[in-house]
Amino acid sequence: MNMLRIMIFAVVALAQLGVPAVMVWQREKTLKQGRVWKFRTAPVDPVDAIRGRYIALRFATEEFDAPVKFEKGNKSVYAVLKQNTDGFAEVDHLTTEAVETDDVVQVESAWWYGGKQHVRFPFNKFWVAEANAPAAERAYVENNRRDNQNAYVTVRVRRGDAALDQLYIDNEPLSEYLRGHSSR
Amino acid sequence: MSGVRNRWAIRWLRSQLPELVASGAITSENARAIERYYENDRPRTNFAFVILATLGSALVAAGIILLIAHNWDDLSRATRTAIAFLPLLMAQALVVFTLMRRDESRSWREAAAIFDVAAVATAISLIGQTYQLQGTFSDFMRTWLLLSIAIVYLLRTTLGAIAYVLGCVVWLFAGWGMFSPEGNPMFFWFLMVLVIPYVAIRFRLDRDSRETAILVIILALASLFGVGATADFANANVGALAYAGIATAIYLCGMIFFPQPAGRLHPLAVVGGIAIGVVTIVLSFESNWHMTYRVASVPRDSAANLAVAVELLFPIASVCLVGFDLLRRRAAFSFSAALLPIVAAIAWAISKLCELPDDKWQSTSCSFAAATVMNCYGLLLGIDILARGIRTNSIARANFGLLLIAALAICRFFDSDLSFVARGVGFIIVGLGFLVANLLLFKRRTAP
Repeated sequence: MNMLRIMIFAVVALAQLGVPAVMVWQREKTLKQGRVWKFRTAPVDPVDAIRGRYIALRFATEEFDAPVKFEKGNKSVYAVLKQNTDGFAEVDHLTTEAVETDDVVQVESAWWYGGKQHVRFPFNKFWVAEANAPAAERAYVENNRRDNQNAYVTVRVRRGDAALDQLYIDNEPLSEYLRGHSSR
Repeated sequence: MSGVRNRWAIRWLRSQLPELVASGAITSENARAIERYYENDRPRTNFAFVILATLGSALVAAGIILLIAHNWDDLSRATRTAIAFLPLLMAQALVVFTLMRRDESRSWREAAAIFDVAAVATAISLIGQTYQLQGTFSDFMRTWLLLSIAIVYLLRTTLGAIAYVLGCVVWLFAGWGMFSPEGNPMFFWFLMVLVIPYVAIRFRLDRDSRETAILVIILALASLFGVGATADFANANVGALAYAGIATAIYLCGMIFFPQPAGRLHPLAVVGGIAIGVVTIVLSFESNWHMTYRVASVPRDSAANLAVAVELLFPIASVCLVGFDLLRRRAAFSFSAALLPIVAAIAWAISKLCELPDDKWQSTSCSFAAATVMNCYGLLLGIDILARGIRTNSIARANFGLLLIAALAICRFFDSDLSFVARGVGFIIVGLGFLVANLLLFKRRTAP
């Protein structure tokens, strides 16, 4: 009876290890092999910037001019990306076709209002360690105002899978920026 | 029967034995006989120790995480990943050790279970942060619950089962709020079904224990939340029937499966009784029966239809429970309370007879008739409970019946067009009822 229970637990333990392991494996592949895209962040309401232990990200390209509404019906929406002259990612157009290439990401939601198409990218939370959360929030808000827009993220895209890689503030990864600015 | 005995009283009696022997009130032979009689009542494990061991292991785990988190940003992704898996591997080793060597010790099982379940959550959330995974809290809860339920069975932990049910409710609220209107609560019932066999095992092995009682009560309360979410999701205007059904089903389960000595009620039956009272009062408001305009315009899909089926399962189940107990010829439950789903169904059918007005705030003659049915039922239910209370000499039950009548009176005081004189007379009658019933019961209790 007890041997049986231990064997059942072996299966359970494999599942408990397997779920996080699969998460790691998928992400590692995208982070190593995916195409790098830089997304300029958009100014946010300071009150709204940090929720517990992550920074809530908004992107400049989540809103773009569109004379007519994109009709998605009941289907999932994908954004086809292009690089602008500054080297940042922009939405080229929306589609409901799931293409597994390195320039397509699925969007969480899409709506149209007043001549502008809005989308929400699925990579909109940047996790920070609890000890750094207040400093990270200050740095993000200070470098993400209308008069001082100096933040962007890098995202790796591989076959439609988008992995958020790093948040850059003043062209430095967040952790290095914080280290440099706290020792002053 | 042993679960009904009061352990504190037994302990006190034991402590008194030497004194009683010394004073000559009983012989030492009597004292030994009493000791022998209560021998089986010695607590098998110390519950406080179990709680402390559980709390201790949780604190140690939390402390380790805090220490690691302090220097988190300086560590590489690979190191962070390794650290995320470490507590999980340790916890799994502890579970294997417990199963092999300490299987009989409840404290070991509870502590190993909580360590393992906490380590799963730690691993998932640390990996999520390290790799900037974007899942929602509700996704996280669902994965966590599914990876944890087997531990409840393997380590036979009732505290774990209680925590699991609470976790299901947390999942329900995470996915079913004003911020996520698209959430589908049907998975909640799947999660709940996974714990039912464990409840059945507890019921078979240890029906009268306090933990089994807490488990079934938590399960009942969780189901009430589940019905709310399901009714909201189904949007089919049968929520009244579903709530009447589940309240009655909880009451009947308490009465049929947890029989108590005469005059006593199992806490589950009490919870069900209170739920029946609350549902009756809520359904006695007329607005419940005409604010149904949304239903026709909603396109239905299979998930919504499944939700309707789940809703209707509860009134059907309660009718089946009544039939089952009547067949056994043991029916100890209150018939008037068990009638709630039938009465609610009648009121529901009456409210459907009229054409719905365009304005949902406008009442119809049918909605008035439906509300009248519920008000009459509420009044009869209150009187019946009051009478049962007086008959069984139960002050609590008698007052609950009166409370029901008083609540009905207060609700109608605010929403009906009765004259002040009529309302005044109504209140005086209810107030006198309280006084007379309590006086009667107290007199009977103090009588020799």
